[in-house]
Amino acid sequence: MYGKGLLKGLWITFKHSFEKKDLVVRYPEQMPHLQERFRGSLAFDFEKCIACGICIRNCPNNVLSMETAKDEDSKKKKLMQYTIDLQYCMFCNLCVEDCPTNSLYFTHDFELSQFHRDDIKRVYHRPPELDQQEAAQKTSDQDTQTAADDKKEKQLRAMINAINKNPQKVLARVLDGEEQVEVLAAVLMADEKKLARMAEMMITDKEKAKKVALAFVKKELKEREKGGDQ
Amino acid sequence: MEHWFTDIAQALVNWLMGLGLSAGWADFVLLIVQWLCIVMIVTINVIILIWLERKVSGFIQLRLGPNRLGPYGAFQTIADAIKLLTKEDIIPSRTDKWIFMTAPLFFIVVSVMLYAVIPMGDGMQVVDFNVGLLYFISIGSLSTICLLMAGWGSNNKWSMLGAMRAVAQMISYEIPLAISLLGVVMIAGSLRLSDIVVAQGNIWFVLLQPIAFITYFIAATAELNRGPFDMPEAEQELTAGAYTEYTGMRWALFFLAEYTNLVAVSALCATMFFGGWQGPGLPSWLWIIIKTYLIMLVFMWMKWTFPRIRMDHLMSFSWKILLPVSLANLVLTGFGLEFFKWMGWW
Amino acid sequence: MLQTDQYIINIGPQHPSTHGGLHVEALMDGENVVDAIVHLGYVHRSIEKIAESRTYPQFVPYASRLDYLASHLPTLGYCQAVEKMMGIEVPERAEYLRVIMAEFSRISSHLIFIGSMAIDLGATTGLIYCLRDRERIMDMFEMTSGQRMIASYMRIGGIAEDVPETFYAAARSFLDDLPQMIDEYNGLITGNEILQCRIKGVGTLSAEDAIAYGVTGPNLRACGIDYDIRKAEPYGIYDRFEFDVPLGTKGDSWNRYIVRLEEIKESARIIEQALDALPQGDIRTKVPRVLKPESGWEIYHRIESSKGELGYYIVADGGNKPYRLHVRAPSFINLMVLPIISRGGKLQDIIANIATLDPVLGESDR
Ligand code: SF4
Ligand code: SF4
Repeated sequence: MYGKGLLKGLWITFKHSFEKKDLVVRYPEQMPHLQERFRGSLAFDFEKCIACGICIRNCPNNVLSMETAKDEDSKKKKLMQYTIDLQYCMFCNLCVEDCPTNSLYFTHDFELSQFHRDDIKRVYHRPPELDQQEAAQKTSDQDTQTAADDKKEKQLRAMINAINKNPQKVLARVLDGEEQVEVLAAVLMADEKKLARMAEMMITDKEKAKKVALAFVKKELKEREKGGDQ
Repeated sequence: MEHWFTDIAQALVNWLMGLGLSAGWADFVLLIVQWLCIVMIVTINVIILIWLERKVSGFIQLRLGPNRLGPYGAFQTIADAIKLLTKEDIIPSRTDKWIFMTAPLFFIVVSVMLYAVIPMGDGMQVVDFNVGLLYFISIGSLSTICLLMAGWGSNNKWSMLGAMRAVAQMISYEIPLAISLLGVVMIAGSLRLSDIVVAQGNIWFVLLQPIAFITYFIAATAELNRGPFDMPEAEQELTAGAYTEYTGMRWALFFLAEYTNLVAVSALCATMFFGGWQGPGLPSWLWIIIKTYLIMLVFMWMKWTFPRIRMDHLMSFSWKILLPVSLANLVLTGFGLEFFKWMGWW
Repeated sequence: MLQTDQYIINIGPQHPSTHGGLHVEALMDGENVVDAIVHLGYVHRSIEKIAESRTYPQFVPYASRLDYLASHLPTLGYCQAVEKMMGIEVPERAEYLRVIMAEFSRISSHLIFIGSMAIDLGATTGLIYCLRDRERIMDMFEMTSGQRMIASYMRIGGIAEDVPETFYAAARSFLDDLPQMIDEYNGLITGNEILQCRIKGVGTLSAEDAIAYGVTGPNLRACGIDYDIRKAEPYGIYDRFEFDVPLGTKGDSWNRYIVRLEEIKESARIIEQALDALPQGDIRTKVPRVLKPESGWEIYHRIESSKGELGYYIVADGGNKPYRLHVRAPSFINLMVLPIISRGGKLQDIIANIATLDPVLGESDR
């Protein structure tokens, strides 16, 4: 018995020493094979972002921040600058997951080290083309159908933003009673679609919005009661 | 090829005598040259060995080992040596300065001294003592003192523990080591290493003395503080044992000495059990190199496979198993020899 | 006359085999341990306090950072605690995937245990072989969640994303190769006589002591006490699976090692069953974006993590952040028996005991 285990161990290591060493990744000449969902570093697409602020609210570590300005003409929030302070990021995916437009996303770039602390921060400024584009659009096809649609959509977005930002105050327009407003806010926060529908109705048809809102609240309260019973 | 080195030595002596030096002085100069050669051999060997050890451990552990600097990472050790040489020599303030500073020097001197008697080829021996083996064993045990100096001088509990372990371990393994070699000496009838090599002309002693070989090999591993017996260093327990406080070149000297010892003990093993420099075809000095390196590979293989043994098991293993076994082997050898002589086979 | 004295030796906080920032103050008599005192707190990151300033969903990624070697388990525990408090139902498919991920985490944690024990006992190569196999689990985690170690894959109300198609093949092939891997560990580590000498009969913990100190997990089961929360108080859908609870007899380091080795096989069994029964469907229920448990609600939920009973105690105050969150960290409580099992042993036994208690300092110091 004595020594048998030792010899077996020696045999195992002997066998392995002649194995092909294909487990070794010779970084940096050879890049590691990364899976598709690999979360390397955060990247941001300025054009797509609607400045809704969901990502900023979701981030546990205050990594993200943005600067907005009011557009003089359309009175809508305009994104001026978006900052990702990567040194505090823990790559948890909470921000990317809920971004409605996928303007925030992860890339496979994992080589994040920098010589200076300030270099880690990623600041995205508003690209000048974007303003030009918008201006050009505004002047050229002001009264075409697309412009109208555009305006409508912008309004819609503004409304969604408003609800997201301050549900109590905005939703008080369609419902009265603080409790009801709160329930409605919870319902809308949980469901993107309902939120969009509500926002649309609030712009086009206030009466209908009031009705639907009441229905939402009732249904939700019922469900909660059921949940409570269980 | 066979006589390259002996021819060079002879030529040197002749040239010196031609210059008008007496034979005694010429021999003295030759001795100095030989010592320088040994130091060179040691350094080159250690550089190769460290690289080899890294490669072996890498291969065993599914890695590549050093592979950046030079072909197959061969220059890695040189780069490391340069790094260690240029490092700041830190001497902690509360150490016993002289002991702390001289311990690595003594260690390396002691291990280089071992090479004096090793037959590195046919007629390639610095001094051919008639008690060569005795010299080897007694000088070999001096390294205990150096480790104790390092541990004591460091004034650190980890180092002290490492040193105490080293002393306990080396002294207890010295005895089975010497006794296991005695069997070989009895058969060869001489303590002179060149005689022992010649005596293995027909048959290697590893076949006549397998038990002695195994006990020698285990005891030698312990003597070298290697493999499963690396108690004085024990980086998982004692951080680095006796070497904890050493940095830079002083630490490198310890490393150098350890590998020097490894080569010496493996060469002795080849000499005592595997026919020394004898072998067909190749020159004698190449044979001993091949044998020594093969033995060292086994040492490395064991080190990278086994876990470390516990201190008290280590001691009881030496006194309760290794010593009785080697003693029994000695008695058996004696009876065997007498029996052979009586039968007229010897 | 020879005079001997006892002395104190500080193992850690910076030491090669203390698994992070553990500090053991050992009172020694030569090589013999007279007493050992555990000092903790070197990896304290105040996770419990952080929880008070994060909303309920925001805390999920922090939970992974408790036990970073099995990061799905602490997140699972946290999400289930919040779900229990809010009465949130989790879709069937998500439950199954949670079990699969949790058991893979357990296997990976136990692989690390085997490897780190081997390296703590001086067998460096054992670690590498375990890491090689763990790498395959890490690849699976990367495939599903995008991160290898700190996955934050669980979400309140389900999981973050459905698994990709490639996951099934990877998981199956891992399970197929598992017996072969275990054979290799048995050959290299378990069967090695030197290692057996090192841990057999070392660090024996009696069943009474284990219960008195609140030891849980494999460390408790090594003492022969059949207590596994997956069986004793099944959470999630664990009652649907068939598996055994490996038990030890003596409670020594050797038993602790063997129990974990066996648990790997049991986890593999659970995964196999879960993969077979995996239903189609949703992976996440709709959860309100702002979770506001009512003031005064509190919950204690516990799961069997790879280290033992991992419990979350959450007190709500009506806001969207917990008023107080406490983690019952198994590593912390298991470490408390280190002195009693180390007394009377050798210095090297302390190292073996730390290794076989398998603490994760990130969890014990929080
Ligand atoms: S990944 Fe997490 S920590 Fe990083 S920015 Fe997104 S939410 Fe914040
Ligand atoms: S969630 Fe997306 S769209 Fe909204 S602000 Fe963030 S990046 Fe922009």
